Amino acid sequence: MSARIRKAGLPYLLLLPGLGWLAVFFLIPLGYTAFESLKAGTLDTGFIFDWQFSNYTDAISDYNEQFLRSFEYAALATIAGLLIGYPLAYFIAFRGGKWRNAMLLAVIAPFFVTYLIRTLSWETILSDSGFVVDTLKSVGILGEDGRLLDTTFSVIAGITYNFLPFMILPLYASLERVDHRLLEAGYDLYGRRRDVFLRVTLPLSMPGVVAGSLLMFIPAAGDFINAELLGTPNQYMIGNVIQSRYLEIGDYPTAAALSFILMAVMLAIVLIWARIAGTEALLGTEGEAR
Amino acid sequence: MTPNDDLERRFERMLHDPLTRRRLMKRGAAGALSLSALSYLAACGTRTGGVIESGSGDSDMIKKTKISDSLWFSNWPLYIEEDRGTLKEFQEEYGTEIKYVEEINDNTEFFGKVRQQYERGDSGGRDIHVVTDWMAARMIRLGYVQRFDPAAITTAQQNLIDRLRTPPFDPGRDYSMPWQSGFGGIIYRKDKVKREPKSVDDLFDPDYKGKVTMLTEMRDTVGVVAAGMGFDPETATKDEFLEAIARIGEASDSGQIRGFTGNEYTKDITKGDSWVIIGWSGDAVQLEADNPNIKFISPETGVHLWTDNMQIPVGAPHAYTAEKFIDFVYRPEVQADIAEYVNYICPVEGVQEILAKRSPELANNQLIFPDDATLEKAFIFRQLRPEEEREIDEAFQKVIGA
Repeated sequence: MSARIRKAGLPYLLLLPGLGWLAVFFLIPLGYTAFESLKAGTLDTGFIFDWQFSNYTDAISDYNEQFLRSFEYAALATIAGLLIGYPLAYFIAFRGGKWRNAMLLAVIAPFFVTYLIRTLSWETILSDSGFVVDTLKSVGILGEDGRLLDTTFSVIAGITYNFLPFMILPLYASLERVDHRLLEAGYDLYGRRRDVFLRVTLPLSMPGVVAGSLLMFIPAAGDFINAELLGTPNQYMIGNVIQSRYLEIGDYPTAAALSFILMAVMLAIVLIWARIAGTEALLGTEGEAR
Repeated sequence: MTPNDDLERRFERMLHDPLTRRRLMKRGAAGALSLSALSYLAACGTRTGGVIESGSGDSDMIKKTKISDSLWFSNWPLYIEEDRGTLKEFQEEYGTEIKYVEEINDNTEFFGKVRQQYERGDSGGRDIHVVTDWMAARMIRLGYVQRFDPAAITTAQQNLIDRLRTPPFDPGRDYSMPWQSGFGGIIYRKDKVKREPKSVDDLFDPDYKGKVTMLTEMRDTVGVVAAGMGFDPETATKDEFLEAIARIGEASDSGQIRGFTGNEYTKDITKGDSWVIIGWSGDAVQLEADNPNIKFISPETGVHLWTDNMQIPVGAPHAYTAEKFIDFVYRPEVQADIAEYVNYICPVEGVQEILAKRSPELANNQLIFPDDATLEKAFIFRQLRPEEEREIDEAFQKVIGA
């Protein structure tokens, strides 16, 4: 083998482990799920491959409510995440000083406890007889028979809480890269604080906003733990349906079809988002380019 | 081939096997007899040891082998003493180490997990599993479990309480042996409700809006509600069950019902997030011991009586040892330890006498050793035909958000 061929082949060789990983743990399961989604039958009698495309149309007509709810909750949680995360990331990046690392650590600290336990503790905190509800009742914010747990509010709040670090970290990364000399230049040109923020800081942090929103929205839309623990069947999202179809009812074709529909919708949302915001923003290269 | 053909073929096969047909007819007869829970339960003493013609050379009967070193027992959580004393005693006597796996949280979920393995005749290593009556019936129907050798389980045959001897789905107890029975009824918080809830209508009382939970186990929830609507779950039609499901659905949509739960309802009622719920009797006995404000009540219209059964799946590597273990837990002194901890209805004769000395309050508890008056209120959910079952399950799953 000549040295040139070996050289040309090297990049592919280096890609091999990654490609192999993808093939075994992504493409094969994906293909299997596609195959499964077109089967007909019942759990009792077994499922047989039958090009059953009606699984898809049935899944959409039966569960459009849960689909819409998932996207609604995920969007609301993402907006809430931006409203909470941006000021926080801004503060850490610009005013954090020597406490920066400590504050970042505090942001990811909840991740040291498993997701399930964190959500379960919210269940206790928001409990009907817990101190949060009692306090809100005594100051009159919550009515006498009002409650927080098992409401739409608690589910969206839970999603926001659980995925917030995914929003804060990319925001921080892009804000931290903002060149302070650009801000000084803005002030030198008689820009007020607001103008400098809107015209310099915010545009430079857009890659973080886009990346953070996607990182938060995508897992949030597929989540089922929050709706299961902090909600009722009236708050169930598409993840709950997929989970119970797969594990509890054993209706694999419908569950597989639902997974595919969810994936397709996500992909469409990401592509549209990338179209609007630009791929540079998506890849986070814009900040560096300037 | 459509799935239905497959099912029919199975029935066909069953009918053509003379011995199975005889058993099938017996099953039908027993089913006709058991029109009321009491008559089925109290159907005294048709000692069924002789139903199986011993030595008939059936190929599906478990053969005697050596006692194995290990045994895999799949059960539900919190369904044996905390210290697993029974398993240790078995090991001391037989030298078998038991791998006790609490992997069953839901009948349907467990079925989904094992179906493909069992279909291949592979038990996945399991030697015993524990499932509720209707699922035990399905396992038998699909040929997923092995037939006991009556000679290997003489203690069990002798000590099984009379009223559990002839269930319609396995009238000779050839494929299933009760682990525990229990009631599905109403559990409530004495300190939160305005009066003792006597009927199912209390679950739908607007004063308890958002404080009601029901079980995800269809037969408990739908059975209790249907009985409350004046239907008899032992004979009700499919449409009557669907009507009950519709009522549950409305209550869920309106926010009356806070959620549908498995075992985890115990923490909601302990915290006071739920006040009046559908729950299980054994849990209630345990909860009441910790918090005297938690009470179980059998609604006047009827309480659901179910049994969880031990079965030996096809391909179980240590089937004979499994039989020995099943026989072992039917010794009254062994069962007494289990009954003392789990507080469900005990299926073994002679345990009440032992507990009367050890812990009289348990021996007198109607939820553990029910008398005829208690059982009169109990119903058994009738056996559903596969297509009815599918329709009812589907409607119920929609309501519980699945």
